[in-house]
Amino acid sequence: MARAFVLSTSDNVATLVDPVRIGDAVSLVGEGSAIVNAKAEIAYGHKLATRAIAKGEAILKYGKVIGQATQAISVGDHVHVHNVEALRGRGDKREAS
Amino acid sequence: MTTFLGYERPDGKVGIRNLVAVISVMDTCNPVTRAVAQAVKGTVYLPGSFIRGQLGNDRAITLKATAGLCLNPNIAAVVIIGLEPTTTRELQELIKPSGKPVAVVNIQLAGGTINSIADGTRAAARFARDASRQVRKLFPLSKLTVGLECGGSDTTSGLASNPSIGVVADKVIAAGGKAVISETSEFFGAEHLFAERAANAAVKERFLCEVNEAEQDIIKQGVDLRGSNPTPDNIRGGLTTIEEKALGAMAKAGSSPLVGVLGYGEMPTRPGLHFMNTPAPAVESITGLAAAGCQIGLFSTGVGNPIGHPVMTVVKVSGNRNTIDTFWDNVDFDVSSVLEKNETIMSAGNRLYDYAIGVASGEMTTSEVLSVHESAISRFGLSM
Repeated sequence: MARAFVLSTSDNVATLVDPVRIGDAVSLVGEGSAIVNAKAEIAYGHKLATRAIAKGEAILKYGKVIGQATQAISVGDHVHVHNVEALRGRGDKREAS
Repeated sequence: MTTFLGYERPDGKVGIRNLVAVISVMDTCNPVTRAVAQAVKGTVYLPGSFIRGQLGNDRAITLKATAGLCLNPNIAAVVIIGLEPTTTRELQELIKPSGKPVAVVNIQLAGGTINSIADGTRAAARFARDASRQVRKLFPLSKLTVGLECGGSDTTSGLASNPSIGVVADKVIAAGGKAVISETSEFFGAEHLFAERAANAAVKERFLCEVNEAEQDIIKQGVDLRGSNPTPDNIRGGLTTIEEKALGAMAKAGSSPLVGVLGYGEMPTRPGLHFMNTPAPAVESITGLAAAGCQIGLFSTGVGNPIGHPVMTVVKVSGNRNTIDTFWDNVDFDVSSVLEKNETIMSAGNRLYDYAIGVASGEMTTSEVLSVHESAISRFGLSM
């Protein structure tokens, strides 16, 4: 079975160390132990959601904030630049701040 | 194993390589410098970066970093190639305290490039033969300064290779040595955690100030860092944001206290972990580390970055099994067993430590045997 590393119990993503196709079962290892079904084709090293994440919610890896969801993310979804944005080094958001 | 076999220098520092530097004071000299280095075995070619037209802090950093590359303990002797004597003398004065043999060729005084290549080649040939008589002796790890770098990072970097490098950094520091982590923008999102490790309030404040200034530069320009970092290859490797990259990158520094904050190419003077303010791209960053006197650089890579430095021996470490398979020509050390076979970070780090001591004692790395190296000093202002 494909494996995905959970680095902290508070994380909502896990890092795949095997590539997966839609519907594949993924075994969470490290600080997690559940089985999650992949909802997308996801490459080696990429992340999948281990919990449902609302739009605007923080993405947590290493137990730390690594960005913010730009749309709702379901368990098993690919979590990457298409649905997450960085909050740092954002000179483009200068007016907003 | 707490010793390595190195070459003692007149200033008491210890090199892990015994190289003759052929270095340009300014960019106009690079063709002569290149020809001299090509002609003599045992030399390294160090191109000049501008100098002419540089002003103030920008010029001072370039000149000091140029001298720093010559002062690196891996360098036995130096052939300076300059255009005219005023600038070459400036560089020569900065190298003089090391007691290393130095020869100077001024292209205008030598009568053009052909004569300069001949003069430089004669000097370099003599220095290379002299250096070859020196034998390695045992030295304690307190003589080592280790550069901590990552390039072509992916999510395996933060999970396997960076923390393995962190184990080595901790062991070298525990033995009285020094380690330097760099790449300022790659602390965005992790700086609050790293700052907690500062040995005192002044170090903490200076570190946070450097990181904040770098981010404010981006904000002032009104640009989005995402256009540059994570890089396209980081994103292909699964890294989504600078914050994620930073949290993984920080693991290279192990768990030792942060004792000092350094400017670009600045030499650490006390034992322990240091942070150096550098741009994130590998060549500029490792050139800063080499100029600071790091003899060895532990360089983690995820999706594959091949580059080394001509002065600082670079060890490439990867925990990505695909990179180990497809990029092995440019990788020195495999820690993929952390992800594939549940090897502990401590075990992988201990294996890497033994390998790194072997490299310090003379084992050649991929970037050395293939001459995959580059040197470029960062700019901090415009030329006039």
